[in-house]
Amino acid sequence: METVNINQLHLDDLPWIIEYDETKCIQCGKCTAACSFGAIKPVVEKRRKLSGGLTKPSFEKVLVIKQQISFEHHCRGCGMCSRVCPNGAIRAIRNTDDRYSVRYRAAKAESLKKGGRSNLNTEGRTLDKIKIGRISQMTDPSLDAARHKFELLTPFGRVLSADKLNLHFENGKMGVQKQLPPNRWIYPILMGDMSIGAISWRMWEAMAIATAYLNEVAGIPVRMCTGEGGIPVRLLKSKYVKYMILQIASGHFGWNRIIQAMPDMIEDPAGILIKIGQGAKPGDGGLLMASKVAKYVQEIRGVPKADLLSPPTHQGLYSIEESVQKMFLSMNAAFNFKVPVAIKVAASVTSVSVYNNLLRDPYNIVGGFFIDGLAGGTGAAHEISLDHTGHPITSKLRDCYLAAVHQGRQGEIPLFAGGGLGQTGSFAADAFKLICLGANGVFTGRLLLEIAGCIGNVTGKCNACNTGLCPAGIATQDVCLTKRLDIDKAAQNIVNYFIATDMELKKLMGPVGNSTLPIGRSDALITVDKHISNRLDIQYVC
Amino acid sequence: MNKEKVIIKTLIDNNRMSTQELLQLINEKIKEGYTDFDIEACGQHNIGGSSWAKDRNDILTFKITNPGQRVGAMALAHTKIIVEGSAPADVGWLNSGAKIVVNGDCGDTAAHCAAGGKIYVSGRVGTRSGALMKHDPKFDLPEFWVLKNTGSFGFEFMGGGIAVICGWDCDKLDSVLGSRSCVGMVGGTIYVRGPIKNIAPSVYVRSLEDSDIEFLKNGMVDFLKELNKSDLYDSLTKWEEWKKIVPLPNKKNDKISVKEFREKYWIENGIFGDFIKDDFKVFPLPASGEGRIHIPHWNSTNCVDCKICLNNCPQEAITTGNKVYSVLDDKCIGCGICEAVCPKGCWTIISERKEIM
Repeated sequence: METVNINQLHLDDLPWIIEYDETKCIQCGKCTAACSFGAIKPVVEKRRKLSGGLTKPSFEKVLVIKQQISFEHHCRGCGMCSRVCPNGAIRAIRNTDDRYSVRYRAAKAESLKKGGRSNLNTEGRTLDKIKIGRISQMTDPSLDAARHKFELLTPFGRVLSADKLNLHFENGKMGVQKQLPPNRWIYPILMGDMSIGAISWRMWEAMAIATAYLNEVAGIPVRMCTGEGGIPVRLLKSKYVKYMILQIASGHFGWNRIIQAMPDMIEDPAGILIKIGQGAKPGDGGLLMASKVAKYVQEIRGVPKADLLSPPTHQGLYSIEESVQKMFLSMNAAFNFKVPVAIKVAASVTSVSVYNNLLRDPYNIVGGFFIDGLAGGTGAAHEISLDHTGHPITSKLRDCYLAAVHQGRQGEIPLFAGGGLGQTGSFAADAFKLICLGANGVFTGRLLLEIAGCIGNVTGKCNACNTGLCPAGIATQDVCLTKRLDIDKAAQNIVNYFIATDMELKKLMGPVGNSTLPIGRSDALITVDKHISNRLDIQYVC
Repeated sequence: MNKEKVIIKTLIDNNRMSTQELLQLINEKIKEGYTDFDIEACGQHNIGGSSWAKDRNDILTFKITNPGQRVGAMALAHTKIIVEGSAPADVGWLNSGAKIVVNGDCGDTAAHCAAGGKIYVSGRVGTRSGALMKHDPKFDLPEFWVLKNTGSFGFEFMGGGIAVICGWDCDKLDSVLGSRSCVGMVGGTIYVRGPIKNIAPSVYVRSLEDSDIEFLKNGMVDFLKELNKSDLYDSLTKWEEWKKIVPLPNKKNDKISVKEFREKYWIENGIFGDFIKDDFKVFPLPASGEGRIHIPHWNSTNCVDCKICLNNCPQEAITTGNKVYSVLDDKCIGCGICEAVCPKGCWTIISERKEIM
């Protein structure tokens, strides 16, 4: 007789349970064929028929779809089975009584890893508790969002205060005495920051195409950050590199190829982003599981097939001052001081100290401060980091902005905020509120994946980016899975989303009455939450 | 009807009559049966507006000098207003049927929201003129004729009616409609003679058709007659100099698709083309052939040739001959049913992940 052991993993332990309706199933096999996790399989079940009294009971064999019960092949709830089922006979249901995280650690003696973002949402989103409450109603004409000409541009790069410009007059003409730090006027939303390797080549290229399209066809000057996994040389040597912000993180992946290509580059890149940390796993370096270190990723990164752990810190940088002196200086020097260099940190209790220190910037080489909040997404992280480390973005961005205001130096080093933006539907609203709180711009990564076709969500659906088995062909390097992703549709979706977001931003700028970005216009914001009002110094309303 | 002309001087001994006093005086006289007014105004608003003769068939006539804003505002049919000289903003605001002739220039927002009647201007009109003109099909089309040009942002949100901008005496202008006109225009027609620049992208500019010329020919006679400028008729009726502006019927997305952008302008063979030969084709879900993520393999060791796998394969992807079973790759989707049903364990599903070469 088959028996079970209490320590065996059981269906009830798993986070997702397959609900299967045998009466609707036509056994076409599509669900099992499409499941990249191998979480469901056809099996022949033995069923007992009741004895009629005169004969012995008999057995029949029935072909059914059955959920697999294992750590390796458990259901992630992605729902691919229900997408392909012609009869709606199968779907994944969240198991609210699951014990998976306990079982996993107990069985494997290792920390749990996953992709996506933190699924712990204990406090709600601050941004959703803020409304745009300062509406032009007879005080001044509100602007027509559809027809008014708005200028949605923000500086990327070091902005000097007027007294540091060293203006001089010669023959009635005004000029500056020395070279100004590089500065580019760009769209206030930056995309990307996701590395080649973490996402499939098709997804990465779709973002690059969308960026080029938005700039060249749609007239929306969006910039894309490469992420820390390098950049293909073909893009580097093309004219489109001018829309790309090259990232250098602690692993320094891909930079030898960038350096080799420099003599053949026809355009400067849009900027350089020094990544110190990211919001999803602050204090932890990048993590790329071996399953995603495909041949071409190995080449670009210069590594063998192995789990790639970036150090949690840039080795050789031991202080803020050293970061400025060494890292900023080197990266500025890389493109002959013509390309703005910014830095990205995970939001932290200490961010204001860092920003204050950067603001001194004696060499005028600090071109931007990116703060990544704890709701950011990631390709792979330890769940413990994802769920329990980090700092919300909103108050941190505000603190940094007000610290600069305190010194009268707001805007000198542009602030960019990110981390979980757009997760409740409207990216434009989140962006606008953060801009009013002092951000020069915002950045997003994970949202782009959802726009492109990710079938997971922010409450734990799928979130298997770390496995390399992404059912949507986004966070994988498998050829069959990647080819599920339609590169043109993915790019078109991103383009469309940006065009819609651009319109929505204007829909918010109009009522406030701003033709240009309302950076720091916190008088436009209100909240019904007294604590948020106090903390962010915005008007309390009820 | 009292045929006698009412002459009103609004500035006597430096005492200016207020708008309220003037309008109430006019209405009093109208009630008494007067229909013909000569008004020396002094900036009073709304002259000639929202009035009707005692006998509704009679025509009210106002001859006005030096009016204030909103001459002929909310004016009704059977009203004729003649302004000697120029008029400030909002001439014919919400005009609902009057004929308004301005023998001079108009300020901003002339013919704003006009929904009936005719407004004739012998000079130039300011910004946002013709904005929100509309046409209620139960009434005649509103017409707005301007001899010279309009300022910028004209005809915004125009929903109906006809505007005719004759471009006379505009040789030095690079646009007779100023800049960014027709933004938000959804209906109506604007006839223009002369150059147009920086017009809203949501409208299109076309050549005249016969019916347009017919309308303009007839209208031009009356327009010029009212302005006492009939001598201009020949110069203004060279139809090849005219164009008409109508809104796009439906908002068209004329941008190229991203796919087209990729194929025409993007880096050839993709940015990963050095490593990856990607044809950018998309595998369906679930895919057969090379798109399978699970692939069955047959092993003969225990096979009893029962054909249960072959008969249960939903894709009919299994064939057999001489007790050897094989899979038709272009039919098989890798569902694993063969493995499940085989009583002897002859089928194994391999789910190896493959990298692209």
